[in-house]
Amino acid sequence: MSKPVIALFPEASFGSALNCVGIAQQLQRQGATPVFLCHPGFNGVFTEYGFKEYQLPVSPSAKQQTEETWQAFVTAHLVHFNQTPTEQLETYVAPTWDAIVDTAMQVEEGLQTLLKRIKPDGIVLDNVIMFPAIANAGVPWIRVVSCAETELPDADVPPYLSGMAADDPARPGFERAYLDVTAASHQRYNRFRKTCGLPPLPDGQYLEASPHLNLILAPSAIRHDRAAPLSPDRFVFLEGCVRKEARFDPPPLPVNEGPIIYLSFGSLGAIDTDLISRMIDTFATFPARFYVNVGGFLESYSRVPDNVYLGSWFPQPSIVAQTDLFIHHGGNNSYCEALYFGVPSLVMPYCWDGHDNGLRAAQTGTGVHFQRDRWSPQMLHDTMSTLLADRHMRDHLGQISSAMKARSGSRRAADAILQTIGISLPR
Amino acid sequence: MQKVRSNTRQNHLKLARQIVDFIAEQGLTEGDHLPESRLSEACGVSRTPVRSALKVLENEEIVQRRAEGGYFVSLAPEKIAVDGLARLEEVEASLAARILNDRAERRITDVQSISALVRRYDVPRSAVLNALKILSADGVVTQLPGRSWAFQPILDTPNAIDESLAFRLALEAQAITAPGFKMDSQKTGLLRQQMETFLQSSDGSMSAVAFLHLDCAFHSFIAESSGNRFAKGALLAHHRLRLTTQKDHTIPDFRLRQSLEEHLDILDSLERSQHQLAADQMILHLRRSQIRRPQTVNRGILPRMRGAVG
Repeated sequence: MSKPVIALFPEASFGSALNCVGIAQQLQRQGATPVFLCHPGFNGVFTEYGFKEYQLPVSPSAKQQTEETWQAFVTAHLVHFNQTPTEQLETYVAPTWDAIVDTAMQVEEGLQTLLKRIKPDGIVLDNVIMFPAIANAGVPWIRVVSCAETELPDADVPPYLSGMAADDPARPGFERAYLDVTAASHQRYNRFRKTCGLPPLPDGQYLEASPHLNLILAPSAIRHDRAAPLSPDRFVFLEGCVRKEARFDPPPLPVNEGPIIYLSFGSLGAIDTDLISRMIDTFATFPARFYVNVGGFLESYSRVPDNVYLGSWFPQPSIVAQTDLFIHHGGNNSYCEALYFGVPSLVMPYCWDGHDNGLRAAQTGTGVHFQRDRWSPQMLHDTMSTLLADRHMRDHLGQISSAMKARSGSRRAADAILQTIGISLPR
Repeated sequence: MQKVRSNTRQNHLKLARQIVDFIAEQGLTEGDHLPESRLSEACGVSRTPVRSALKVLENEEIVQRRAEGGYFVSLAPEKIAVDGLARLEEVEASLAARILNDRAERRITDVQSISALVRRYDVPRSAVLNALKILSADGVVTQLPGRSWAFQPILDTPNAIDESLAFRLALEAQAITAPGFKMDSQKTGLLRQQMETFLQSSDGSMSAVAFLHLDCAFHSFIAESSGNRFAKGALLAHHRLRLTTQKDHTIPDFRLRQSLEEHLDILDSLERSQHQLAADQMILHLRRSQIRRPQTVNRGILPRMRGAVG
């Protein structure tokens, strides 16, 4: 019997791309052949982990997206990252959904062609929108929910991207505003689905649950109770899904003492060099070693303090494993890695489900959160001291970590995927 | 003027070494007095440079200045010849490494004055000057008119690593195909063994730093073996620069292993004297290293259209 081919299609973000790498590594260990469908510009990422890549054809309009376009995006949205989740609905969430719908429409034809060529036995979709070519491919497709659990709506679960509690009195207002700002892109998307032979989705939703299998990253420690529980047949919780990375030896610093604190706001968050510079100024007076992910903006920094190290990329699981405190943006991958290694989180969200995870960290005693533009050096100093000294939180996180490590998320994902596509491989 | 001054500093260091030799030759031991007049006579110089050289030695704790006046030996006789000289050399080299490391990690700016470095590292001017001379020999710094030194481009950012790969693509294959390429078979065996040992390490246990050392050793060896003296010189200097300044922790385990296997394939071809094939394999190897991570991208937003990001 030939090896089953599983096509993984992560969205164009590092979080889901590398989450899928974790699942693919396990699928490969279990005898399958994972391949990646990748967005333009992500080529090479999966090859470096040893997987075959198929790049989605680039449309002429996308080809024109240049550095200038990106800079324009950065300039336009940087100010919005300081807004509240409700304010961001209009300024950030609505245009982002518009862009997501554009992407889905642009790649449809290319995706259909690729899937016909690859002939996968199953497709793993880690995204926030359905690409009709996947639903129409004629093989089981598996949805990975690598965002916060709020992505799957429920009356008892906080509204997606709201950063609010489930019973927040402002909830109905937020939900109405969400539907209002997304109405145009949603209608456009539903029209597109119709042309592809797919049924429309309810207002505000761009991706249906898979009829075959849905994998949810949120570990039990941060899970919400639901008014309508998810069927365990179709919804599998993974207890995180942490990939294997190259070993990381923290480079010794001129002042090489104290706990290790790692800061990463993800690839998009690194654009806010002003915020990171202000934080670095505070780090200079704090007795710890700081490793800071500044993404592609290394050249924006000079006079780095002696207890701070800047990098344009870190093998995140390898450094989080050695960290005493993780300052991040609430990206689900980062948050899950912090939980997996039992590290407290200081969440400073700037958009999307970072708001949801920030609140969830505080609610579950796994970290604290504050708004990224409303802090003083003293407040940051005190928060870091408190988190480092909080034995109770550390013990709690230790238990979460042990539980997550005991149940390998990637193994569980691979088992469920292979079972779904009806293939039983010898282990 | 600057040239004269820096030469003077060099002379102080040279003199400091002469004094260490003198202590060893005379069998002086810990606590013995070092009269300036005697040193001046033995070294054939006036007392003023002797005093400066003694200050250098004092800073390295090879001699000691006492309140009653004068300098005294502070190392045991068996340690003087070996440790004394080694300490002098090591301190200079380690200061050079610290300066370079701080530049690579963006702790200090491109242009540095001697006095700023003296303050930062709390060492004598002579030590800073010697460290800068070491860095200057590797082409990492150049002296500006006045009292400042400027760092030359180093491999401290993804863009710089990108340009480094483009430079190597232009030259490394040429270094192999130039007439006169000749490998030392003993060194080939040693490198091969080191890479094979590295490949046997368990999944995820390869260190990026250790890989960089081995990678630079391999590529320097190829450069050394080249028959083209200019390609050899330029590449050797570049690999020294990579070794000391390249900070790249971004390479997944799979690519580290694949890279080492590519090195071994290149060695195989070279040992069979298939130079053109080895040169092509080198290009393939460097091109694979060039296809790296995209800069940034997020939900629905198309990524930066960049072919090669280090």
